Amino acid sequence: MRERKAFSLDRTFLIDLTRCTGCRGCQVACKEWNQMEAEKTAFFEGEGYQNPLAMSEHTLTRIKFRDYQKDGRNEFAFYKEMCMHCNQPACASVCPVGAFRKTPEGPVIYDAKRCIGCRFCMVACPFGVPKYQWSKTLPLVVKCTGCYSRVKAGLVPACAKACPSAIVYGNRRDMVDEAQRRLAAWPAKYINRIYGLGEAGGTSVLYLSELPFDELGFKNVTSRPLPSYTWAALRLVPGIFMGVGASLTFISWLTQRKDRLRNEEETRKAAPARPEEK
Amino acid sequence: MTNHWNDLKNSDCIMAIGCNPAENHPVSFKWIEAAKEKGAILIAVDPRFTRTASKADTYAHIRPGTDIAFIGGLINYALQNNLIHKEYVREYTNAPFIIVEKFDFNEGMFGKWDDNEKAYDMNAWAYAMDESGRARRDPTLKDPRCVFQLLKKHYTRYDVETVCAVTGTKKDDYLRVAQTFCGTGRPDRAGTILYAMGITQSTHGTQNVRAVAMLQMLLGNIGIAGGGVNALRGESNVQGSTDHGLLFHQLPGYLPSPEYSDATLEATLAKRLPKTNEPKSANWWQHGGTYAISLLKAWWGQDATAENGFCYDYLPKRSGNYSYIYVMRKVLQGHVEGLVCMGMNPAMGGPNSLKEREALGRLKWLVTADLWETETSIFWKRPGVNPKDINTEVFMLPAAASTEKEGSITNSGRWAQWRYKAVESPGEAKSDLWIIDQFSTRLKAVYAKEGGAFPDPIVKLAWDYGHEPDVHRVAREINGYFTRDTSVKEKDKTLEFKGGDQVPSFTYLSDDGSTVSGCWIYCGSYTREGNMMARRDPTDLPNGLGIHPKWAWAWPANRRILYNRASVNRAGEPFDPKRPVIAWNQVEKQWQGDVPDGGAPPLNDDKGTYPIIMNPEGVGRLYALTLRDGPFPEHYEPVESPARNLLSRVQHNPLVKVTSDIEVDLDKYPYVGTTYRVTEHWQAGAMTRSLPWLVELVPNMFVEISQSLAKSKGIRNGDRVRVSTERGSLEAFALVTARIKPFIVEGRSIEQVGMPWHFGYAGMATGDSANILTSAVESPDSSIPEYKAFLCNIEKGGTRP
Repeated sequence: MRERKAFSLDRTFLIDLTRCTGCRGCQVACKEWNQMEAEKTAFFEGEGYQNPLAMSEHTLTRIKFRDYQKDGRNEFAFYKEMCMHCNQPACASVCPVGAFRKTPEGPVIYDAKRCIGCRFCMVACPFGVPKYQWSKTLPLVVKCTGCYSRVKAGLVPACAKACPSAIVYGNRRDMVDEAQRRLAAWPAKYINRIYGLGEAGGTSVLYLSELPFDELGFKNVTSRPLPSYTWAALRLVPGIFMGVGASLTFISWLTQRKDRLRNEEETRKAAPARPEEK
Repeated sequence: MTNHWNDLKNSDCIMAIGCNPAENHPVSFKWIEAAKEKGAILIAVDPRFTRTASKADTYAHIRPGTDIAFIGGLINYALQNNLIHKEYVREYTNAPFIIVEKFDFNEGMFGKWDDNEKAYDMNAWAYAMDESGRARRDPTLKDPRCVFQLLKKHYTRYDVETVCAVTGTKKDDYLRVAQTFCGTGRPDRAGTILYAMGITQSTHGTQNVRAVAMLQMLLGNIGIAGGGVNALRGESNVQGSTDHGLLFHQLPGYLPSPEYSDATLEATLAKRLPKTNEPKSANWWQHGGTYAISLLKAWWGQDATAENGFCYDYLPKRSGNYSYIYVMRKVLQGHVEGLVCMGMNPAMGGPNSLKEREALGRLKWLVTADLWETETSIFWKRPGVNPKDINTEVFMLPAAASTEKEGSITNSGRWAQWRYKAVESPGEAKSDLWIIDQFSTRLKAVYAKEGGAFPDPIVKLAWDYGHEPDVHRVAREINGYFTRDTSVKEKDKTLEFKGGDQVPSFTYLSDDGSTVSGCWIYCGSYTREGNMMARRDPTDLPNGLGIHPKWAWAWPANRRILYNRASVNRAGEPFDPKRPVIAWNQVEKQWQGDVPDGGAPPLNDDKGTYPIIMNPEGVGRLYALTLRDGPFPEHYEPVESPARNLLSRVQHNPLVKVTSDIEVDLDKYPYVGTTYRVTEHWQAGAMTRSLPWLVELVPNMFVEISQSLAKSKGIRNGDRVRVSTERGSLEAFALVTARIKPFIVEGRSIEQVGMPWHFGYAGMATGDSANILTSAVESPDSSIPEYKAFLCNIEKGGTRP
C-alpha cells in the first residue's frame, strides 16, 4: 500500500467549539443519513444533557457535554466526538485484511466485507473510535464513514450540513489557514492550539477551543503518525528476515561443513590403503 | 421582529433576555456568530446558565419575573450616564410631549385608581393638547411635565443596588451589561434585544416588552440595522397565524375585531381608527377602513356592497374576553358544547394541566387534527381516569406534516417563504387547508339545506378555492385583486387594472368595494408578476446588510426593517453611514436601500413624515397611552413570589385578578419554579416524543436544581424527585448542576427549580407535564398566563421508575 505524503487537499472538518451550542443537529443528521438505530437511554448519561453513554455501533458521532465551574464561572461546553480520519490512520495500518483505506479525497473508509472482527483497529486507534457490533452474532467493526458517498457526489457530510454555526468543511490547507486566522484574530478567545493539526501525524478533523482540550475530554495523542511506531519495527522485518535467514544459512553451512569435513576424513581413514606403486 | 434573523449579523451588541436562541432557535446562531466574528458582544440574561449563556460574553443571572427591574435599571443607567441617542429621542419619540397634570405615580400606583372598577382612569394619562389639537411639546426636554422628565423621575428608583437586590444579579455582571448595552446609544453603534416567552409569560408580560421597546428607543436602536425589538417566535408559522388574526381580539392584518356594542361598520371605524392633528404624521391606521372593507369583500364577495355595509352584520361580534384562558374556563364550567383543536394541545400547553384535562371531559364533542395522538386527543384514557366516566365524543383527524403540503410559512422576521410538497401524506392524513375547506363547504351545505337562527354569514361566504383546494387561490385572495376594471392615477401616469388582476400593494386597496384582500399586510405577496413568496434570489443590496430584497417576500410591502425612517436624520442621511438601511438620494429624489417605511421624502421636506407610521402621533411612545396597567412599566413581583417588592409597596400588578389556586406561603412552597424548552423536543412534545433519535437524546422528564438545593434535600444527580405547587405535583429525574444557582433576596438564599414542559402521557416517550404545576393567573393586557414564575416545593423520592 503506497502511503501519501501530502494531505493539503484532503476534505477536512474545522470544528470551532467556541461556536458549538451543543444542539446535537450533527448527531441526529448522522443517524438519519446512515439510518442507524436509536439507543435506549434513560435520563442523561454523562454531564449536562449528554446521550448516549458513548459512541457505539449505533452512534458514529456524539456530542460530549462538560458542565463544570472554573474560577467561579460556569463552563458549559460541547465537544463533537467522531472519527478523526487521520492522514496516516493506525486502523488501516494494523488491519490484517486491509479493511480500512485512506481515500484520495480524505475520508478513511471501511469495507465491511473484508472485516474479520479481530478488533486490532480498536486497540490501535489512539482516539478510541472504531466500535464493535456487540449486539450481532457475526460482529464487525463500525465507524464514521466521513460520508464518503456524499463527498464523492460533491456534497458535504451530513453533520457538517446540519451544523448551523460550528463546522466548516473544505480542503485541509484552507481549513488550517482559517483556523490560524481565527487564532490570530482572537488570541484571548482561543487556546492557541489546533487539535488535529499534528495529532497522530495530522488528521482530517481539526478542532479549535476556548477551554483547554483535556478539560473537554480530548485525549493527548502523540504527534507521531501511529503507523510510524509499527513502521519502525516492521520496516526492519525484511532486513531481519533476510539477515537472520542468511545467518542461519551460514551457520547451518558452517556446522554442516564441519560435519562434511569430518565425514570426508572418516571416509578417507576407513577406505583400504591403496597399494604402493613398485 | 422589527428586524429579522439575518440582520443579527449587523449588530454590535446582542442581548438575549427571556429567551434562549442557542437551544430554541439554533440556526439563529449562524447570524449571531457572524456578528461575533465582527466583534459583537453577546449578553445572556437568564435564570439558568443555558447553552446560550455558554456562548455569551456576559451572563447575567436574573430571578424569574424581575425583568422590568432589570430593564428599568438599564433605562435609568442610560439616562443618568447620558448614553441615550439625543437627536433620535428628541425627534422620533414622544419624549418632548407634555402630559396632563392629572398624571401621577406614587407608592407603586399610577393616578387615578378606581377602587370600584379595580382599574385606572386612563384619561388621567393623556397628552396635554394645544388649541390645534396637537400634543404640546418641549423640544429642550426640560419641562418637568414632559415625558422625558417624567420618565427620568420614574426610573430614578431603579438604581443598580436596588435592581440587583431585586433580580439577584451580581453587581459586576449587571454593570458590565449596562456599560456594554447602553454603549449602543451612540449613532454608530447598534444594539438588538432578543426576547421570547421568558418575559412575555408574566402578569406584567406586556409591560416587560414595553420596557424593552423603551430602552431601544432611548438608545436609538429602532429602525436601524442590527437593532430592533426582536421576538423569537416559538413555532415555525406562529407569525403567520398571528398575522391572520389568530388572537381573539383581532381580524387578519391586526385589524381590531368588533364587539357587541359596535353596531355598524361606520361607527366602528369611526371609533377604532385613530385620528391625528399632527400634519407630519402618516398615521397609517387611518386607512384601516379600506383594509377592513377589502377583507369583508374577500369573505362575502359580491354580496358585500356599500349598501349593506359590506356584510358587516355577518361578522361575529364578541362580548368580552375570548382568550384561551377564558375559553377553557367556560369549557370547565360546562358552557361549551364542542371544541376543535387543530395542532393545539390544551391538555399540555395550557396552565394548570389537571384542570385543563378535567375541562375537556365536560365537552360534548372534541375534534382534534394532529400528526400523532396527543394528550388532548386521548385525554379520556389518561392515567388515573376511567373512560367510562367521560361522555365526550372525540374525533381524531390525521393531519399532514409540513413537508407534505404546499404553502407559505412566515418566520419571526416577517419573511413569508413558500414551501413545496415533498412527499405524500401517510394514510388518510390531510392538510389543514383541506380540512378547513371541508368544514366550510359541508357547513355551508348543511345550513343552506336546514337553515338555522342566522345562516346567512355561513351560506353567503364567498368560498371557492377549487376542488383540491388550491393553496394558490387562497394566497392570491390574501394578496387581493380588483373586482372590476380600475384606473389609478399615480404621480404622472395612469395605471390600468382589469377585474381579477392582483393588487400590487395595499396603497391600491380601496373602500368602495372595488378591491378584495384577505389580509392587507400581505398585499404585494402575490402580484401580477407571480408568487413573490416563492422567489429565491439571494442577491443582497450593495449595502451588504442582509436585506436580500428578492428572497421570498416580507410584510409589509417587502420591507425588511420596520421603522427604518428612524435610521436617518431629518435630512434623510443615515445616522450610521456604515450601515445605511435607507438613504435619501437628493438628486433622484428617492430613497435607496430597504423599502422605506413610508415613501414620503425626509422629515425636513414639506411633505416629509415622521418615522413611527403606525402611531397616530408619528413618533415612538416612551410614554404609552393605551395600556391598562400604566404608561410606564413598573416592577411588580410575580403573583407567586418569594420576595416582597423592593420598588414600591404594591406587591403585584394591581390589575391582576388573583385566582383561587395561588399560594404564597413560603413554608409550603419555598422555591421559585420556572419552565423552558430544550433543543431536542418541540413544544408539547407531540411532534418529537415519538421520534426515536430525539427520544434518545432527551428520553425523560427532568428538573434542574442547584448543587446547594440538592445537598440540602439529599438529592443526587439522577434521583427521582417530586415537585409540587398549589395546583398539583409531578415526578421527574433531578439534574443537579452548577448552572442553576439560588438567588439572594433580602439576605435569604432562594433556590429555583427549572424544568422543560415537553412531557406528557401520550406518545412513545412519556413523563409528567410541567404545566401541572403552573397557574392560569393572567396578564391583564394580553391574558397570557404567568408560566415562568411560580412557587414550588421539591422532595426526594418518587413512586414510579
